[in-house]
Amino acid sequence: MMKKKMISLVLAGVMATVLLSGCGGASGTSSKGNDDTAAGGSNTLTVWAWDSQFNLYAMEEAAKIYQKDHPDFQLNAIEITWDDLQTKIGTIVGSGDYSQLPDICLMQDYAYQKYVTIYSDLFQDITDSGIDFSQFPEGKLAASVVDGKNYGVPFDNGTDVAIYRTDILEEAGYTLDDLTDIDWNRFIEIGEDVYAKTGYSLLSVQTGSSDMIYQMMQSAGKSTWNEDGSPNIAGNEYLKQCLEIYKQMADKRILEVVNSWDEYVATFTSGKTAGVLNGCWIMVQLESAEELSGKWGITNVPSLPGVDGATNYTNQGGSTWAITTNCSNVELAADFLGSTFAGSTELYDTILPGAGAIATWLPAKNSDVYNQPVEYYGGQAVYSMIADYASKVPSVDLGIFYTEANAALATVVGNILGGADIASELETAQSTVEFNMR
Amino acid sequence: MKKKGLSMKQKQSTAGWMFLVPAIILICCFSLYPALSAFITSLKTGTGTNLTFTGLTNYIRAFQDDVFVQSLKNCFFYLIIQVPVMLVMALILATLLNNPKLKFRGFFRTAIFLPCATSLVAYAIIFRSLFATDGFINSVLLKMGILSEAYNFLGNPLSAKIVIIIALVWRWTGYNMVFYLAGLQNIDYSVYEAAKIDGASPIQTFFRITVPLLKPTILMTAIMSTNGTLQLFDESMNLTNGGPGNASITMSHYIYNMAFKGVPNFGYTSAMSFIILILVAILAFVQKKVGEDNDQ
Amino acid sequence: MTSKPKLVFMYLFLSIVSLISIFPLAWMVIAATNKSIDVIAGKLTFGTNLVENYKNLIGQQPLWGNFWNSCKYTILVTVFALIISSLAGYGFEIYRGKAKERLYSVVLMSMMIPFVALMVPLFRMYSKLGLLNTVLGFMLPSLATPLLIMMFRTNAKAFPVDIIEAARIDGTTEFGIFFKIYIPSMKAIFAAAGVITFMNAWNNYLWAKVIMSDNTTQTMPMLISNLTSGYKTDYGMLMLAVFITTIPTAVVFFALQKYFVEGITGSVK
Repeated sequence: MMKKKMISLVLAGVMATVLLSGCGGASGTSSKGNDDTAAGGSNTLTVWAWDSQFNLYAMEEAAKIYQKDHPDFQLNAIEITWDDLQTKIGTIVGSGDYSQLPDICLMQDYAYQKYVTIYSDLFQDITDSGIDFSQFPEGKLAASVVDGKNYGVPFDNGTDVAIYRTDILEEAGYTLDDLTDIDWNRFIEIGEDVYAKTGYSLLSVQTGSSDMIYQMMQSAGKSTWNEDGSPNIAGNEYLKQCLEIYKQMADKRILEVVNSWDEYVATFTSGKTAGVLNGCWIMVQLESAEELSGKWGITNVPSLPGVDGATNYTNQGGSTWAITTNCSNVELAADFLGSTFAGSTELYDTILPGAGAIATWLPAKNSDVYNQPVEYYGGQAVYSMIADYASKVPSVDLGIFYTEANAALATVVGNILGGADIASELETAQSTVEFNMR
Repeated sequence: MKKKGLSMKQKQSTAGWMFLVPAIILICCFSLYPALSAFITSLKTGTGTNLTFTGLTNYIRAFQDDVFVQSLKNCFFYLIIQVPVMLVMALILATLLNNPKLKFRGFFRTAIFLPCATSLVAYAIIFRSLFATDGFINSVLLKMGILSEAYNFLGNPLSAKIVIIIALVWRWTGYNMVFYLAGLQNIDYSVYEAAKIDGASPIQTFFRITVPLLKPTILMTAIMSTNGTLQLFDESMNLTNGGPGNASITMSHYIYNMAFKGVPNFGYTSAMSFIILILVAILAFVQKKVGEDNDQ
Repeated sequence: MTSKPKLVFMYLFLSIVSLISIFPLAWMVIAATNKSIDVIAGKLTFGTNLVENYKNLIGQQPLWGNFWNSCKYTILVTVFALIISSLAGYGFEIYRGKAKERLYSVVLMSMMIPFVALMVPLFRMYSKLGLLNTVLGFMLPSLATPLLIMMFRTNAKAFPVDIIEAARIDGTTEFGIFFKIYIPSMKAIFAAAGVITFMNAWNNYLWAKVIMSDNTTQTMPMLISNLTSGYKTDYGMLMLAVFITTIPTAVVFFALQKYFVEGITGSVK
């Protein structure tokens, strides 16, 4: 008898305490979560995004603007890193319980095609929601359009900028103009000269990443995919050309190859390299080196030599707001995004100085804020320049299997730096991607 | 008397089961049931939620997948070198730090334990900067004349793997030391005193008393470390990101990438996970047999 | 222990190992006082940016709220995991039997499958049981861990059977033996298991992040990953956050390690 009592006491105690402690902590949150997402006609929108100082900040400013006309409107912004967001979405769609999705979530542009194609019921088609999509550049819009339907409101700008240390260029006898509207051949000539005269590499790049190759490809509107969706990697002459340029630059120390993101950032913030070439969002990090203020200048990127359709404009990264199918008030969500991120100069005028967030919404660039000279870049009106670049970026199909192709090409990049043959590496990459697609 | 004894036995047996009930319920609900479900998924193929039953296709596919095979080899490379080094180190440290006459014992123990409590974010940054081309390790080796020019440790296949092993030993030695320290408390310290009086050297004591008496704990840490190494994720993800060119990627890292980064194929990722399970189970079984055979 | 040179050598060896172990922590402390760009440039001297880093940190993230969340969940998980797993470990070893051995193998197998594979089925189950978005939900999978069960079982081997027999003759119940005799005599094991569980629970991250969709339940590991996910990473601030996150485990270890002295026989006698 005693024994049984003991057992039941222990068990009951354990379970009761666990349940109590658990529910006590959770009751508030779980009921709130339900109100936010499930209840129809609610005035609250739940948003998932990463980067509290950038994306979430922009979202909160947008909410403030929207609240002026819609005092009932509430925003429930939740910070989730991009990695975790993918894990959460993956788990949710895998389990089939979409009720845990937010109303709006931020999506990296490169992942759009994958999610929309594989999970056709994940994001809302907002083509006819009244949002004027023609006010976004085509290159940017391409990411969130599938089969002619719009699945998102573009936000974060990934347009490439080439940023150089004008003081170092001057020491080597060059100006920013010498690096404007040039191709990679000319860039290598200048880069060699700068390295010989000053000891500085012009650019740096993180190893194990094929982003640089993608940027080169996109500048000429070239894709790693065929029209029918099959990979176009082996024997792709443009890819081969990009990799050759990359390899040549690394060998000649024009391109400093480092092992990780933090080392990459350190190369330009602590003045080890004379330039940066990346999406314009890199400026936020660059500007943390306050003592280098005024020593930088911005221009467009080198183009692929001898290639049809080559331009000096390209893109790296960027993101777009998606409305999920779990959103109970799609009209509200679309109206909110439409009248802020796709309709408010005030918003963009706030978040540019506030967080360095540059618009992809074209009308934004006409405002005074965008045309002001920026001290950090020697007085250039960099933001209107970037907005202008954005409109010239060729659109390119990143494909459904972008991540797989990106990883395979990253392996190629790593191997060719170690001396492997480009053509045969590309063949291996092609078969890796084909294997992944099987 | 006999009857009463039997009912005592029965009582004890039921009591024995009752001890297990809470843990077994939890493990069934939160490990075994989902594992069973994952196993069923592993027999299906397809992207996203469109899965069809295809039998063992996913398991065959895994061994045709160059990256998975590479990750499998990498994990075994880590296992063979890192686990013995780490466990021996941990055992030596635990023996030294078990000495009640040792001064600053608490400090030494805490210091050596700390690496595994250190956040991954911080230690990944530190290790990367230490082993960077212009990092601390390179400058020391250059100054000592061992290297003639800076070596890119994380940029070469073999050295990247070795950096991961160094990081693992650094991080987990103190962790395993804790198990040994706890296990050593089961040995009466007077046994050591007696051995000393008998004139046994510290090394003799170590092999004749410490190792045999700690055998269950050593076996346990060996199984745990085998499991941990074959499921290794953090170091591959954060230190080298699997590179250069998949040279240091681990199985779990690859599975995670396949499940959540690219186009998801949950059937395939489940199958790869079960391959890990099978490998660890076999190795654990072998370790257990070896451990028990030595008992006799 | 023995001769002087040997003693000197031992202290030297332990000091070097401690130094290597503690170096990153020292680096973290130094980094927490520096500006971001100095941290990644590899500066190894103390800076003057500590207050600034702290202000930025509490300005961007709910630091102490998250810290409190972490403490709360970790302590709950640790206490229950210790009770549940020590019961099971003891049960497996003291009341041996063929069926129990088979069950034990199954328990061990359950730790050998990568958690990534279990996430989707577990999420589906949580969705049916209404465990999503609950604190209970993210604690439950950590309460009975094969690791702890194995640890308690291994160490229960050393617990003398005579004591159990004697207690039975005195009329103590089976659970009475466990709670009144076994637990008090196994302080070293409970201390070690406590430290390990505390650390694992403190760093537990993935599952919590997947099932929780609320800022108010955020814990320290999530806070840290948020700090590294933006366009601009403030490394000085990040290192401060990481340092603050490391302190509790270090304190718990230091407090509990002194129990690694009492042998079973010593305390039972």
